[in-house]
Amino acid sequence: MPRVAYYKGCLASLSAKELDTSTRALAPKLNLELADLERVTCCGAGDIHEAEPDYYLHLNARILAYAEETGADTLMTICNVCTLNLRQANWQLKNDERLLERVNQNLETVGVPAYSGNVEVKHLLWLIAEGEGYELLKQAAHKGLKGLRVAPFYGCQILRPSKLLGFENPDRPWSLEAIIEACGGEPIDYPAKIKCCGFPIIQAREEVALGELIQPIEQAYEAGADVIVTPCPLCHLSLDAWQSKLKDATGKDFQMPILHLSQLIGVAAGLEESELKFKRHVVSVKPMLEKLEV
Amino acid sequence: MSETAFDTIGPAPTPTMDVALKIWRYSSRTGERELKEYTVEAPEWACLLDVLDIIKDRVDGSLAYRKSCRMMICGSCGMRMDGRAVLACKERMQPIVESGHVPVISAMGNMPILKDLVVDMDPFWSKIRAMKPWLQPGYQERPEKEYRFSQEQMNPIHKEALCIMCGCCVSECNSMEADPEFLGPAALAKGFRFVGDPRDGAQIERLNEYNGEHGIWDCTRCYFCNERCPKGVDPRDSIAKLGAESIEQGIDHDLGAKHAKWFVKSAKTTGWLRETELVPKTQGYVSAIKQTKFALGLARRGKVPIPFPPHVAEEVSEARALHDLIAGQGREGAKGIVQGERGLARIERSDAGGAKRDIAEVTPGEEPAPAGH
Repeated sequence: MPRVAYYKGCLASLSAKELDTSTRALAPKLNLELADLERVTCCGAGDIHEAEPDYYLHLNARILAYAEETGADTLMTICNVCTLNLRQANWQLKNDERLLERVNQNLETVGVPAYSGNVEVKHLLWLIAEGEGYELLKQAAHKGLKGLRVAPFYGCQILRPSKLLGFENPDRPWSLEAIIEACGGEPIDYPAKIKCCGFPIIQAREEVALGELIQPIEQAYEAGADVIVTPCPLCHLSLDAWQSKLKDATGKDFQMPILHLSQLIGVAAGLEESELKFKRHVVSVKPMLEKLEV
Repeated sequence: MSETAFDTIGPAPTPTMDVALKIWRYSSRTGERELKEYTVEAPEWACLLDVLDIIKDRVDGSLAYRKSCRMMICGSCGMRMDGRAVLACKERMQPIVESGHVPVISAMGNMPILKDLVVDMDPFWSKIRAMKPWLQPGYQERPEKEYRFSQEQMNPIHKEALCIMCGCCVSECNSMEADPEFLGPAALAKGFRFVGDPRDGAQIERLNEYNGEHGIWDCTRCYFCNERCPKGVDPRDSIAKLGAESIEQGIDHDLGAKHAKWFVKSAKTTGWLRETELVPKTQGYVSAIKQTKFALGLARRGKVPIPFPPHVAEEVSEARALHDLIAGQGREGAKGIVQGERGLARIERSDAGGAKRDIAEVTPGEEPAPAGH
């Protein structure tokens, strides 16, 4: 069983615990052994990169160093923002010996092992969208989704900037669609699936953020989607929790259920509510469960 | 028949291909919009702009688009191909023709269309002008000798200086779709081009201006600008540099800056984001209380984790110690942003200059300190 270092990030530890529990329940079915990282911190979510960029780099180097210490060659993420922040730091450290030397000196001064640059950061989505992971996914999703109409929402920082992410064409991504099909769902196409959910500025510029947020929800709704699925807990939080604010602002009540990637696969794989924790969602997923007769 | 020397003299006939395009035609006068398909014979080396020229020359002289240099310098021919903002002179058509795909060509986004592929750039230019895109050296009297700066001191703004103001980044800016007044990626990259210029003396004034309601903190980090820029300017990175430089200079009144600073505080104290406190720390307690109804709705679903006892990472003292340790290492503010192809080389060598506050080290007429010292 391939062993991967598991970086769950802030939200899956706190407000999106359902992402963590469903990922852990799913992992053995996908032949993934998760090595927990107890000492790591937040990746900075792009905010520390913008406030104190040198600190951002060191925090992420520390995460990479502890991931390397587990002996795994892959650091698995379950959040777009963690993926970009860690891959950006990893790219910088791997491609600049002088930078790596300085950062390692600092890490060692405070008692953190030096980082040798032998870890690759990969999102769960990428591990199961092709190859052996995809074959295992097809086996795991034995209960299927009975043709559920699923709108994939990628979000930004798993696609762009492609020179740091680079798993798939950022304008014509296919991985979520492949997974939806493997689970027995019907992928719905709509233009805003690669656009921003507004989350990074939802505190500081709520109106602007809502102007972004409405696009994927409205388009998926009009295309007849039963649910939206996303690989990012920040997208999940804004799409799910801020839908009520969209209603207040526009009068439109979409009631669109939003699923984490691990929950969508989890339903197809027959996970229990104790692992999926749909009760933690703001928008009810009941219509979906009724359609699937779960 | 074998090839003789004679056969190879003179220009070889140019191989051609049939190129098909669908173009969104538009007239702002009548408001009519129509998707028209064109197929023309073009040389195999043709780029999108060459094909448009052939269509205009041989098929329909009324087709409107902008062009000038044809070599990715002037920034005139920005337009969308299959929804992606590109420079028409940079896109080779042969691979597309060979794939059998018929691309859809349309005008750029976020700017009003005047005719066909021509957009009104006035809002774009007014935002560029709002950045005061000229040097403000900060001295009145003419110095006796010229100020001299090394390449290394200018390197931190190298990428921003590559901007050709084509508008491809603005075309796809997600924040600007929701807030048309957002200064946007092109203008803010231009802003850092001056904030980071060692010859400029108006850094603080500029940062204060760029920190307005529609400034730096309006950026939603969708990274479309970095993805689309045909010159590698990476405007999103420029905006992050402006943010870091603002916070370093104590210009942190914006909610966006407070939000960003709370993540630093969280990482130093518990290691993980102190999520529940994020709203009051960003918006202030009065505004947070106004949000109580919304917050209670989330709390019922476990979306507002109770902050006590806090969720603390093991050995978080290391994260705190790292923060203190690097504080004096000269990578404060924008200098801490490692970016692009040459990474730290550019930033390390800029230590002799780079940002405005180091300008005192450079005396008029004197050779600046060599790189790395």
